Amino acid sequence: MQTKRTIFPNKLLPYVLLAPQLAVTLIFFIWPAAQAVKSSFEREDPFGFRTTFIWFENYTRLFSEPGYVNSLGKTAIFAVSVTLLSMSLSLLLAVAVNRVLKTNRVYTTLLVWPYAVAPVVVGILWWFMFNPTIGIGPYMLRGLGIDWNHRIDGTQAMILVVMAASWKQISYNFLFFVAGLQSVPQSLTEAAAIDGAGPFKRFWTIVFPLLSPTTFFLLIVNINYAMFDTFGLIDATTNGGPNQATNILVYKVYADGFLGLNIGSSAAQSVVLMLIVIVLTAIQFRYVERRVQY
Amino acid sequence: MATINLVDLKKSYGNVPAVKGVNLSVADGELIVLVGPSGCGKSTLLRMVAGLESVTSGHIEIAGRDVVKAEPAERDIAMVFQNYALYPHMTVRGNLEYGLKNRGTPRTEIDRRVNEAADILEIGQLLDRKPRQLSGGQRQRVAMGRAIVREPAAFLFDEPLSNLDAKLRVQMRVEIRKLQRRLKTTSLYVTHDQLEAMTLADRLVVMNGGLVEQIGTPTEVYDHPATLFVAGFIGSPPMNLIPTSALGTDGANGLPAGTDIVGVRPDALLIQRPEGPCIALEATADLLEPIGGESHLHVKLEGSGQAIILSVPGRPDIAESAHLTIYARPSELHPFSSQTGRRTDTVAKS
Repeated sequence: MQTKRTIFPNKLLPYVLLAPQLAVTLIFFIWPAAQAVKSSFEREDPFGFRTTFIWFENYTRLFSEPGYVNSLGKTAIFAVSVTLLSMSLSLLLAVAVNRVLKTNRVYTTLLVWPYAVAPVVVGILWWFMFNPTIGIGPYMLRGLGIDWNHRIDGTQAMILVVMAASWKQISYNFLFFVAGLQSVPQSLTEAAAIDGAGPFKRFWTIVFPLLSPTTFFLLIVNINYAMFDTFGLIDATTNGGPNQATNILVYKVYADGFLGLNIGSSAAQSVVLMLIVIVLTAIQFRYVERRVQY
Repeated sequence: MATINLVDLKKSYGNVPAVKGVNLSVADGELIVLVGPSGCGKSTLLRMVAGLESVTSGHIEIAGRDVVKAEPAERDIAMVFQNYALYPHMTVRGNLEYGLKNRGTPRTEIDRRVNEAADILEIGQLLDRKPRQLSGGQRQRVAMGRAIVREPAAFLFDEPLSNLDAKLRVQMRVEIRKLQRRLKTTSLYVTHDQLEAMTLADRLVVMNGGLVEQIGTPTEVYDHPATLFVAGFIGSPPMNLIPTSALGTDGANGLPAGTDIVGVRPDALLIQRPEGPCIALEATADLLEPIGGESHLHVKLEGSGQAIILSVPGRPDIAESAHLTIYARPSELHPFSSQTGRRTDTVAKS
C-alpha cells in the first residue's frame, strides 16, 4: 500500500521533538532503574560514607530471610485475590449494564468514578470505613457477631486491602469489559438462542470466549496493578501490618529502603519485583495469548 | 415439516409501527419470499417469527402451535443470518454441532447429521477449520449447514446472500433453491433483491410500509401487479407508469372507470407496429443503452415529456433525439388508480 510521506529536511528537528519525552523517561525511569540495579550489588555503611561492592550477597540474603519469603507469599495471595475479585465483579456489572446500555449512561459514568481516585485516598477512605474504633464497617459487623479489628487480625487486614484495591480497579475493568461486550455481535447471541442455549449457557459458550482478548489484557493489567500500584493504599491503611500480614513486595521495598534505610536490600528487592513482573507478563503472552486467538 | 400461519401480526417500537398487521399462511414445504424496500418491515416480520423480536399483537402459529410466547429455541426453527453469525471461536464442526449438543442429541446422531449436512453442502474437508479461514461462500454454506443439521420445522433466511459478490450470489441462489426442494422444509426468505425473490419463491409476499401489498406466485405478481407499488417494484427495468393524460384520447379509450395511471412493462412496448389493435405514442429518443442481447431505450413522450423505458431486442439503430412511434397492445396495459393505488380492472388476484 502506498502511504503518503512527508519529509522534513531538518535533521535535528525529530530529535528536538522527541527530547522532552526521552528526558522524562531517562530521568524518571531509566536512571533510577539503573541506580537500583547498581545499588542492589552494593552495601552502604550506616552513615552513608562508604559503599562496598558485594556481588549477589544482597540477593542470597534476601531469599534466606523469612520476612521476604513471607512477603512473597502475601504478594501472591494479594495479587490473585485482587485480580479475581475485581475482574469477576466488574464482569458481572458489565454484563448487567450491557443488557440495558442505552438507558444507562449515567450508571456507567458513576461506575467509572472510583478510577479517578488516587490510591492513597482510596486507602484512607477504606481505613475510615473499617476503622475498628469509628468505622461503619466494624459497627455493622459487630451486629452480625463478627469482631473486626484489622490492626490485630492479619487475615482481616488482608481482606481489607484486597477489598480496597479491588474496589478501585473495578471501574477500569468494567470499562474494558463493557467495550468488549459491545463488540460481540448481537447476531451471535441470537443464533445461539435459536440453537437452544439458555442465557447462562450463551454467556459461557459464546460471549465469554469471545471476550477472552479483553480478559487476557485485563489479567496482565490487574496483576501489574496489584503488584506495583498498591503501595499508597497499603501505606494509608495497614502499613504492611499487623505482623507483616499485608507487607507485599512493593511495600516492603519502601519499608526496608526508606524506613529501614537498608538501601542495598531494598534495591535488590525492587530488581526482583521487576523481574517477577517481566516473567509473569512474558509467560502470559507466550502461553495464554495463544489460547486466546480464535 | 410444518405450516406457518401469521394472523394480524403487528409490531410497534414505541409509537412507531413497523409491521401493521400481516396475515400469511405458508403451506408445508413452501418457500415464501418476503420482498420489499429497506424499512418495509420484512426483517422485523421474520425476526418475530424467529422469536427475536416481541410481538405487539397478533398470532404466530408454527406447525399448528401458537408460539408468540415461546422462546426462539422452543419454536423448532433454524435461521440463516445476513452476516452468517458463525461462532468465530469454534471450528466448522463445532458450529454445526452446537445446536444439537444444546438439545442433548446423542453423539452418534450428531455425527450422522453433521456428516450428512457436510456431504449435502460439500463442506466435508472444511470441518476442522475456523470460520475466519473460510471464504464468503464457504461461510454461507456452513451457516446453511447449521440450519440443516437441526432438521427444524422451518428455515428462516434473513438476506443470506447480500454479503456475497454478484457471481457467487447467483450460484448460491440456485443451491438454496435446490436444497429447499430436496429437503422440502417450509421456508421464509427475506430479501430486498427482487430478482432473487422472483427466482427463488414458490410465492412472493411484496411488502411496503409494514403492510403486505400482494401475495402470489412470481408470475402472478409480475403479470398482474395488484398495486402501483408492486408494479414499480417488481421487474427490471421497472414498469413504466404513465398518466392517462399523456396517452392521448386514442390510448385512454376503453380503460376501466377510475383509471388515471397506466402501467406498461418495458418489453411490452414495441417500436414496430404489431398485428391487431394497438395504441401508438409519439416519442423522442433520449438514450440507447445496449446491455448485450437487448437494449434499453429511453424516450420522452412528445407533448407531456413523460420519460419511458423500452426494452427492445438486439441493438436497434436509433439516433439520439430521433423521432419515433412506440406501440403497445391494449392487453398489455395495467390500469391503476392513483387515488387508491390499486388496479382498476378485476383481473388482479391476490
